[in-house]
Amino acid sequence: MTEDSQRNFRSVYYEKVGFRGVEEKKSLEILLKDDRLDIEKLCTFSQRFPLPSMYRALVWKVLLGILPPHHESHAQVMMYRKEQYSDVLHALKVIRFVSEATPQAEVYLRMYQLESGKLPRSPSFLLEPEDEVFLAIAKAMEEMVEDTVDCYWIIRCFVNQLKNKHRDALPQLPKAFEQYLNLEDSRLLGHLKTCSAVSRLPYDLWFNRCFAGCLPESSLQRVWDKVVSGSCKILVFVAVEILLTFKIKVMALNSAEKITQFLENIPQDSSDAIVSKAIDLWHKHCGTPVHSA
Amino acid sequence: VLTASPNVRSLPLPCIMCERLILYIIELFPTWVGMDFPCLCLSVVLARDWPSSVFDCIDSYLRFLTFLAFYRWKRLETHDVVIECAKISLDPSEASYEDGYSVSHQLSARFPHRSADVTASPYVDTQNSYGKNATSTPYSSSRLTLNTPGQLPQTLSSPSTRLLTEPPQATLWSPSMVCGMTTPPTSPGNVPADLSHPYSKVFGTAGGKGTPLGTPATSPPPAPLYHSDDISLPLATATAPRKEERTDPARPCLHRQHHLPNDRAPEELPSNRGSVTLSDLPGFLGDLASEEDSIEKDREEAAICKELSEITTAEAEPVAPRGGFDSPFYRDSLLGSQRKTHSAASGAQVASTNPEPLHSSLDKLGPDTPKQAFTPIDLPCGGAHESPAGDRDRQTSLETNILTPSPCKIPPQRGVGFGSGQPPPYDHLFEVALPKTAHHFVSKKTTELLKKAKGNTEEDYMPSTSPVEILDRLIQQGADAHGKELSRLSLPSKSVDWTHFGGSPPSDEIRTLRDQLLLLHNQLLYERFKRQQHALRNRRLLRKVIHAAALEEHNAAMKDQLKLQEKDIQIWKVSLQKEQARYSQLQEQRDSVVTQLHSQIRQLQHDREEFYNQSQELQTKLEDCRNMIAELRVELKKASSKVCHTELQLSQVSQKLSNSESVQQQMEFLNRQLLVLGEVNELYLEQLQSKHSDSSKEVEMMKAAYRKELEKNRNHVLQQNQRLDTSQKRILELESHLAKKDHLLLEQKKYLEDVKLQARGQLQAAESRYEAQKRITQAFELEILDLYGRLEKDGLLKKLEEEKTEAAEAAEERLDCCNDGCSDSTVGHNEEASGHNGETKTPRPGGTRGSGGSRGGGGGSSSSSSERSTPEKPPTQRAGPFSSRWENPMGEPSPSIPATVGSLPSSKSFLGMKARELFRNKSESQCDEDGVTISSLSETLKTELGKDSGVEAKAPLTLDGPRTSPPNPDSVGQLRIMDYNEAHHEHS
Repeated sequence: MTEDSQRNFRSVYYEKVGFRGVEEKKSLEILLKDDRLDIEKLCTFSQRFPLPSMYRALVWKVLLGILPPHHESHAQVMMYRKEQYSDVLHALKVIRFVSEATPQAEVYLRMYQLESGKLPRSPSFLLEPEDEVFLAIAKAMEEMVEDTVDCYWIIRCFVNQLKNKHRDALPQLPKAFEQYLNLEDSRLLGHLKTCSAVSRLPYDLWFNRCFAGCLPESSLQRVWDKVVSGSCKILVFVAVEILLTFKIKVMALNSAEKITQFLENIPQDSSDAIVSKAIDLWHKHCGTPVHSA
Repeated sequence: VLTASPNVRSLPLPCIMCERLILYIIELFPTWVGMDFPCLCLSVVLARDWPSSVFDCIDSYLRFLTFLAFYRWKRLETHDVVIECAKISLDPSEASYEDGYSVSHQLSARFPHRSADVTASPYVDTQNSYGKNATSTPYSSSRLTLNTPGQLPQTLSSPSTRLLTEPPQATLWSPSMVCGMTTPPTSPGNVPADLSHPYSKVFGTAGGKGTPLGTPATSPPPAPLYHSDDISLPLATATAPRKEERTDPARPCLHRQHHLPNDRAPEELPSNRGSVTLSDLPGFLGDLASEEDSIEKDREEAAICKELSEITTAEAEPVAPRGGFDSPFYRDSLLGSQRKTHSAASGAQVASTNPEPLHSSLDKLGPDTPKQAFTPIDLPCGGAHESPAGDRDRQTSLETNILTPSPCKIPPQRGVGFGSGQPPPYDHLFEVALPKTAHHFVSKKTTELLKKAKGNTEEDYMPSTSPVEILDRLIQQGADAHGKELSRLSLPSKSVDWTHFGGSPPSDEIRTLRDQLLLLHNQLLYERFKRQQHALRNRRLLRKVIHAAALEEHNAAMKDQLKLQEKDIQIWKVSLQKEQARYSQLQEQRDSVVTQLHSQIRQLQHDREEFYNQSQELQTKLEDCRNMIAELRVELKKASSKVCHTELQLSQVSQKLSNSESVQQQMEFLNRQLLVLGEVNELYLEQLQSKHSDSSKEVEMMKAAYRKELEKNRNHVLQQNQRLDTSQKRILELESHLAKKDHLLLEQKKYLEDVKLQARGQLQAAESRYEAQKRITQAFELEILDLYGRLEKDGLLKKLEEEKTEAAEAAEERLDCCNDGCSDSTVGHNEEASGHNGETKTPRPGGTRGSGGSRGGGGGSSSSSSERSTPEKPPTQRAGPFSSRWENPMGEPSPSIPATVGSLPSSKSFLGMKARELFRNKSESQCDEDGVTISSLSETLKTELGKDSGVEAKAPLTLDGPRTSPPNPDSVGQLRIMDYNEAHHEHS
């Protein structure tokens, strides 16, 4: 508490000056110093503040359950993970599912398939839609995480989280999207409805792939911070913010196909702003997450 | 008439006359039809056998009369109807012209009758009177029926029907009639119409023949007058002026007066001439006939005409009253006719000649007055004519009846219904058409008529006194006229008595007369044309008049309305003024009221302000009061709290008091006790004093003992206290210790949890790894099964080959094959081959190899076969191949796989060790069973392959199939492997 109060009076100035996350880094370090990591606190933290990139992988691994909360077992667990990774990779190589030339994302996919028992009989089999999603996420994650083992595990757990934890929430997102878009800009929603584009928006890209391939990784990881920490609603606000940002263009388009096409290939330059605004919007509508403890 | 028609035939008349008669009869048809006696017509038509030409005419005529008419006429204007009728008229001369032509004759002929017969169909009566009495009654009845509606202003339908049914009427009818002009009325004209037709016909023929009318204009001597049948009027002349008169319906009287002098002066001659020509027509005809026909015929005709004329005079008698002279003259003729009617056979002819004498008598003898006097149509004379029976007796008394018309006329002028109930047939129309002007006109006319009637009566008296004288005078006048005429004519032989009294006139005179006749004829034509023009004008003017009258009426009505409206306006103005006055009054009142109210308002406002101030004051007071009340309340609260406080104090005090009381009581009690004790003490002291000496020692002893005991106890207590302290300390110590222990325990628990968590995390990781391993093994299994499948296929192939090349070249050929296979396998399946090699190198019982050999044949479709085989495999069998794999690294390390297999985590981790142990055990135990299982597997594979495998699988299965058929490098490779394996086995 004393530390918090000490931090607070400075952090105000930091934020005013524009240094976001300066104080957060410290507090995160403090959080990470705890022997038994408080996952809830970490969740709250990552929801409230952007994660410093140097701790991102660690925090994600902890949040996704790749690493246990105890520092002691980190090494061992990580070793296990590594071994598992290499085992699976080896198996794939043995059965000639994967070769050196295989792109890394596909390697991850095959590994994931093998682990989940869904490995097809032949690598030439067509990919399922969910495999496509995995591939998209894997490609994005490749850019974010350097270490292949970490990358694989993060992808795996991230996808699993989407599949299990957010399984019920994801189908609701389009509705929530409409609702918040209506709150923010009902005219835009009306336009979309008149174009009958509401049902044809790239929901798959937005909510199933979590904007993988839509936003550049630098800004995408900030969104995924929130997703990893357990809130998939941020996706809705990113989508809303995308529409709000490109409102003029969207309003100029009259056919659903054109709108969808445009939204699938939005310009990347303003993605940082979009994400920041989306997070603000998310905080505005869902309230700033407060640490329950 | 019915009788007449056959009679006509019986008559020895010439053809022309016969035809004429027929025509007359036909002319009667409309009348009959009009009288609702179409049967009569039919009977007449059927009774005779007509010449075909005539019959056609009749046929069309009747058809027109009976059927076409009703619908057709109703829509037409009256004058149009007239024209239409004229077109269809039987009279050829009429047919071509408009109504006026024929009408003129009819009218002129009818005119005298009309005065007497104003009824709608008097003609029938007269007819009946001539013809049969039997028929007369129905006629009368019918007539009555017709008349009864006719009495009232007739509706449009009734006249129209009449017009339709009675073509003569129709032809006669003209707007002038409606207007009450001099044109002959419809009703009485019927008879003469018919009669006039023959005349006109004659005239027409005369016109055609023209010249034969030889008698000079001047020639007409008084004799024809006497004859009465020959008395023919100068019809043309007579009608001409009348026509002119008729042309102006609006001012008939004026016209008449106007015309008469004009006409008479210059037209005296022509009139005379005309009369002569007409009267002498039969004679002339006879003359002409002398050239063409036999003279006898003419004579006969003349005779008949004479007779007929005599008869008709009786009919014409009613006309007599107008002209004073006529009455005696006709009476005589009437008598004659009465006599002759019975004898006379041809009624029709009688009718035909009738008008002529009438006219002649009228026009000649009384040309001045009678025309004018009787022109008015309002000469309805009910009494005599209503009895259509045509009693001769009554007719004798006609004079008196005829004289009555003047009084009879009076009622109509007053606008009251006639006594007889028979208004002039057109009068009602007139009234309908021109209500105002009609009234005016009727009144005018009636006054005139009254005057004339008076004159007539005066005139009538004269002849009544002495008819003989009158006759004489008439003869004389006639003779004078004749003489004058004669003298005027410049005839070569004046003195010669060449008239019809005696011999024939000289030829040159005849020529001159003929010239004159031609002249007259021309004049007649001219007059006719003029009359037509007049008729046209007449109609036009009538239309205008009707229109004007209607407009006038309208105007009058409008004026009335205007007046009414003006009155209304005035009334409104007055009321407006009143209202304005009232309004101003009310406004003043209102103003005063307003001012009053304003003042009141002001007052009230003032009051209100005062009240407001007061209320404010009161409110302030109220607030003050409230404040006071609040203060008082506060005080009250304070006071009440004080009271409570004091009460509390009081209760405390009372408690204290009670306490003190109890204490006092205790004190008293204690005092008493003290006293008692003091007494006791004293007593004891006394006792003590008494016993002091012996008890002191004891007491001392006792005291000492007590002291000792006390000390002992004190020590004991001390000891106990000490012990207590120590024990308490101990307890505290122990408690702290316990807390520590608890804390430690908690910490321990936490730690344990942590550790557990940690372990769980690790375990989870390990489990996930284990899962992954399981998956990997599964994948491997699949792969192995794949490979086994392939192996089996290869085995099959190899077996087949073996069976065939078994005996001969065993080892060498195999080696060749091996070499071939090696070369083949290196192409695409290097890895596979090596894998297989590694696998196959493992030491296995011969059974397995054999089975493995038999397994071949799968060839390229290994993956599919393995897919199929997997589900059939029991878990124990799965372990078999798996174990063999596991054993691999232990036995012979293959070039590629051993490294990977050897690096499996199983070698390091506990789980891996366990698994390995397990697998090893299993594999060892199952090694024996492998052969069986795999052979069974191979069998199943075989069957399956046999069932549905591809071409490659089938080929080796067929016994007669090509032995070296598998050129597939895969299969060859497999074969090679098989062989190698086989060889290896043999070696081993």
